[in-house]
Amino acid sequence: MIRFFGVTKRFPGGQTALRDVSFDLDAGEFVFLTGASGAGKTTLLRLIYREDVPSEGQILVNGRNVVGLPAAKVPYLRRSIGVVFQDFRLIPRKTVFENVCYLPMILGESVKRQKEIVLDALQSVGLGHRMNAFPRELSGGEQQRVSVARALINRPDILLADEPTGNLDPELSLEIMHLFAEVNRRGTTVLLASHDPGMIARLGGRVLTLDNGELVNDDMEEPILGPDPAESLT
Amino acid sequence: MNLFQALAYFLREASKSLVRSWKSSLLAVLTIAISLFVGGLFLLATQNLSARAAEWKDEFQVTVYLTEGTTRAQRDDLYDLFDRSFVREVRTISPEDALATFRDSFPSLSEVFSDESGEMPFVASVELSVDPSKTESLDPWVESLRVNPASEMVDDDRDWLRELGRLIAVVRGIGLGVGGALLVAAVLTTASVIKLTAFLYLEEIRTQRLIGATEFFVRGPFYLEGLLQGLLGGLLALALLALAWFGVRPSGEASFWLPLVSEEFLDLPVQGALLLGGAASGLLGAVLSLRRESLRGPESD
Repeated sequence: MIRFFGVTKRFPGGQTALRDVSFDLDAGEFVFLTGASGAGKTTLLRLIYREDVPSEGQILVNGRNVVGLPAAKVPYLRRSIGVVFQDFRLIPRKTVFENVCYLPMILGESVKRQKEIVLDALQSVGLGHRMNAFPRELSGGEQQRVSVARALINRPDILLADEPTGNLDPELSLEIMHLFAEVNRRGTTVLLASHDPGMIARLGGRVLTLDNGELVNDDMEEPILGPDPAESLT
Repeated sequence: MNLFQALAYFLREASKSLVRSWKSSLLAVLTIAISLFVGGLFLLATQNLSARAAEWKDEFQVTVYLTEGTTRAQRDDLYDLFDRSFVREVRTISPEDALATFRDSFPSLSEVFSDESGEMPFVASVELSVDPSKTESLDPWVESLRVNPASEMVDDDRDWLRELGRLIAVVRGIGLGVGGALLVAAVLTTASVIKLTAFLYLEEIRTQRLIGATEFFVRGPFYLEGLLQGLLGGLLALALLALAWFGVRPSGEASFWLPLVSEEFLDLPVQGALLLGGAASGLLGAVLSLRRESLRGPESD
């Protein structure tokens, strides 16, 4: 589903964010991406949805070469990937409903269908009652959950999440992880960046560890709670 | 999303943006309106002048003032020259008729030529109404009238009409130049306004792109915003032109020139062209402001 071949990313200032990173993610996997702050987790995720391009190496997503993808086709790649951004990236002047509804709207869903799926997505993150609120009226945790709802609205093939529980209390974090696990169980490949060792240890599974831009570990960790992330949380 | 849904979405977003940043939008609308108003004034003047010139051309006339004391044969020679296919009507004006017309036209001067003096200040003349479609071939004919011994003087409208034609071309040229220059300024103002709006929403635009919006969806609302600004500018310019026209017409009765340039308001196609010109300049401003590099975020895309 996702394949990295010797990917290096250098920034114009000379700083190297990723060094010769190679790995494969199969369809339906649930994988943690971990490492200290500045290890390159966010850069790696950005390369997958083509917010950035590598300095060297190749990236295949769903069989498509992301590096050489023409600019006009990038939106279609992004529609197949749900992304939960670290800084939420909600549109401040739009309501919660409008934020989540953006992709269904541009995909041409009927208004009735838009309402149904947006309400469903918001209810799944516990925000069905806040759909007319603006992002500034929400707490950090609520904004995070809106971001999750928006990422899942199109039932993407791949879900990328950058520190998705960073602003949530433990109880809500578990709920969100439960949601991700459910999505994964339906066949979506999940790559979740987190520097929360407690969460990773509790859920277990495949863990990619970055250190100073290098992929230093690609291990299976035994979960404390059980072998399946979804089961671990239920 | 089909085109209709997309346009409805663009319209919603563009209207919201126009209201939200109404001050800068108003600036763009006013700039477009002023440039179209100035250009429209010149168009109004040239349209009316052209209409008057066409009327005068249709009434084209050659007046031959007859020499006194010429022989019957000389006069017959002259009258033979009037027998041409392009001469529609021949009217002979006697000196008495000419005096009566003068007195009718200038009552206050009627006493200047009293009957008691016994002198007749006017000479007989012949007014020839000419088919304007053949006016280009008239030079040798008019010249033959001039050199005929029976004609004292020949008045030919064509020189004055040629001068008027040149005046119309100059007025039209000035209008195009001034209106065009102002329209360029209006396009650049609209471009700056849209660019400012786009920069204001740069983060939002980046987010839209990151979640899969195509450039069509990202830029569409901005294009429509420019188009709406231009359309509003065009409507405002038309309203100002109509006001100016209504305002000028009553005072035109006391002037020679004002009726010439303000008898009729702009034709409907010209009004439509002004509106379209406004919309096109607004759209062009938006397109210029949203060249790809203008909206690029810090990341390469």
